[in-house]
Amino acid sequence: MSHSLRVNPIACEAHGVCAELLPELITQDPWGYPIVAPGPVPDGLLPLARRAAAACPTLALLLTPDE
Amino acid sequence: MIGLAAFALARGMPAGAVSAASRSAGALSAGPALAITRLRGTVLSAPRPAAGVVNASTPLWYLTRATGLVALVLLTASMALGLLSSVRYQRPAWPRFVTIGLHRNASLLALAFTALHIATTLADSYAPIRLQDVVIPFISAYRPLWLGLGAIALDLMLAMTVTSLLRTRMSYRSWRVVHLSAYLCWPVAVLHGLGTGSDTQVRWVLALTAACVAVIAVLTGWRLAYGWPAHAGARLVGAFALLLALVVGGAWLSAGPLQPGWARRAGTPAYLIGGDKKAAAPAPGGTR
Amino acid sequence: MTQAIKNTLPRLIPPGGPLTLAEHLARYGPVPFGDEPGRAGGPSTADLIGEVERAGLTGRGGAGFPAGRKMRAVAETGRRAGPLRSQVGTVVVANGAESEPASGKDRLLLTRAPHLVLDGVALAAEAVGATRGYLSLHAGAGELAADLAAVIAERDRLGLNRVPIQVVTVAGTYVASQETALVSQLNGGAARPSFVPPRPSQKGAHGRPTLVLNVETLAHVALIARFGADWFGELGTPSARSAGSALVTVSGAVRQPGVYEIALGTPVGDLIRRAGGPAEAPQAILAGGYFGGWLPYEPALHIPLSDPDLRAAGAALGPGVLVVLPVSACGLAETAWIAGYLASQSAGQCGPCTNGLPALADTLGQLAFARPDGGASWGDDPPGPTPGLGWAEQLMGLVRGRGACHLPDGTAGFVASGLRVFADEVRQHSVAGPCARVRRPPLLPAPGYGGRA
Repeated sequence: MSHSLRVNPIACEAHGVCAELLPELITQDPWGYPIVAPGPVPDGLLPLARRAAAACPTLALLLTPDE
Repeated sequence: MIGLAAFALARGMPAGAVSAASRSAGALSAGPALAITRLRGTVLSAPRPAAGVVNASTPLWYLTRATGLVALVLLTASMALGLLSSVRYQRPAWPRFVTIGLHRNASLLALAFTALHIATTLADSYAPIRLQDVVIPFISAYRPLWLGLGAIALDLMLAMTVTSLLRTRMSYRSWRVVHLSAYLCWPVAVLHGLGTGSDTQVRWVLALTAACVAVIAVLTGWRLAYGWPAHAGARLVGAFALLLALVVGGAWLSAGPLQPGWARRAGTPAYLIGGDKKAAAPAPGGTR
Repeated sequence: MTQAIKNTLPRLIPPGGPLTLAEHLARYGPVPFGDEPGRAGGPSTADLIGEVERAGLTGRGGAGFPAGRKMRAVAETGRRAGPLRSQVGTVVVANGAESEPASGKDRLLLTRAPHLVLDGVALAAEAVGATRGYLSLHAGAGELAADLAAVIAERDRLGLNRVPIQVVTVAGTYVASQETALVSQLNGGAARPSFVPPRPSQKGAHGRPTLVLNVETLAHVALIARFGADWFGELGTPSARSAGSALVTVSGAVRQPGVYEIALGTPVGDLIRRAGGPAEAPQAILAGGYFGGWLPYEPALHIPLSDPDLRAAGAALGPGVLVVLPVSACGLAETAWIAGYLASQSAGQCGPCTNGLPALADTLGQLAFARPDGGASWGDDPPGPTPGLGWAEQLMGLVRGRGACHLPDGTAGFVASGLRVFADEVRQHSVAGPCARVRRPPLLPAPGYGGRA
């Protein structure tokens, strides 16, 4: 099953940890908020994506299975 | 012999050596005083130990105090890293995830050393401390108030650790509420160390503790100055509480643990203070 | 099936004053509840959801989500979600808190045909297993709230409500009537959208599965329950996801501004003609409200009034809004004005919206009002100077899809359409400075907004 990354924009406080941990899929806008590459997370990056989601200081990065 | 063993132990683990000094200061036992006075190169002021006073539990007692100090340093490191994370400290050579990763590891290490600290306390027969004293505050026969603070700090540490390990499975808000107890846990742990007081009067222990307090005070001040623009009131209250804690804490320290006779006032059972421990202690095992 | 009323417009708001309950029941027939004896032909309430799905009724509040699918989701969560998996009472919310400033149809509908809406609430409540209902209005609704409470009390005495229905007034901000913001207010919270999931259909008012439907949508449900999906589809173009009729508020430079009921798919030009035609030389039409878009006037007249068709043209149907912009107004200035209004309506929760919309509005303001040599600065926030249009395009890309609600997307779409349709004005302003028309007071309504700070 493929997984996708999603940001809860209300919870996100632009700490930027996710962009540090997963630059392959996450960049930052001019204000520091994450821009997530669309589409499913490539299998090889899944562990890193999981780690980035767990490291978010406000738990605003969500890794969810695609329906 | 055992005094020498303690000395060797002390050399291997400086904190243990230091902790031994306090026993000299508190005049609780002559054995450790031997080790200490040698280490510090001071004149042997304590009387030589009577045979049998220094006993098999002494290394454990040193370990308890040593691990306690190490745990304090680690807890301070963890708290400092947590504060650095909350003020979003970041440098090209020090990305955010380094702060967060170190914070996590320092916290787990602090918990590990706290576990050791507790294990040696329980294993040691010197102070009458039971398992329930470790988690339930203020029920201990030995320095109930100050040991109780340790129990509170432990409970909070456990709560923070468990919620952080389960963090992704709970709501951010509840995790955060639990985690904010760090601001209670750390000062309570420091008070526990100072108030239990075995080593408080040792100069470098005092200096180490002061350094820990300074680091946390500065970083807390930074946090109060940095964040929460929407919570000006809360920040002001926080700043006031910080100053008050420093002033009151300092006053208490100089009037309490740094004065002679603190061991008794701290609630050490009389039989541990009065010279003949062996006679008074209801020691199990009979090897005291 | 209840004897169908003559299948011509208007379906929802009959001419003349509001109908009394007796007149309403005489015109449309009894409310076809599932347990009503002797009812023949009409879809039973058990089938109401299926019937609404078959009818292809889409939400009339702006988003255009299929109403039947929403009802089914709530009914199913209600059956599944209870403690010990038993049925739990769901909640129905009739959304009449019309926050689209250029729309007036919900208020008119509630004033003139409240019984049709309340029939819809009762029928939907029965269909999704609701145990309570709400009718939400703007805080500025005034006497309407009291009038509706009286109507509800009258129906209560005849057992026509099925569930207790409470009239509630909510904040008047643009995002306050967004469904998660509405649910938040019903739960005693702020008028701010929330992150989904959980959707209101999963966990809404009082933590229960909640069906939020626009009041016009519910009025259509009441008609579908009586006359069936086929009857409903006799108007509109069901094949193009545009079945039935819809209320459209026409305003701006037309001779007879007001609310009109049209069959979906009716060309824009036909409706403008019904509204008396342009009152002065027109240049553009805003379709779909502030989450819709501008269309150049002449080409717009041939576009069918349906969401897919309007979207293909760069606008939307939204909650049914048409504003005709006369040549005497500056389209660029109007766009900048509304961009500022929308930025001011941000709930301040999501970073891209909080930062991006004011920057976008500011850029639009500079494009519209700054003198060419007036030292306009593009984006004082990073990434720095990408003059004018380029920076606006960048900002639109940066806010799209990055909010909890659609305020950033809607604003970006609206601004993009303005820059497209008024491209000539943008060029002229950048060369010669603001045109004389910018001094005219804004045509588009922006309640509570005083202009650029």
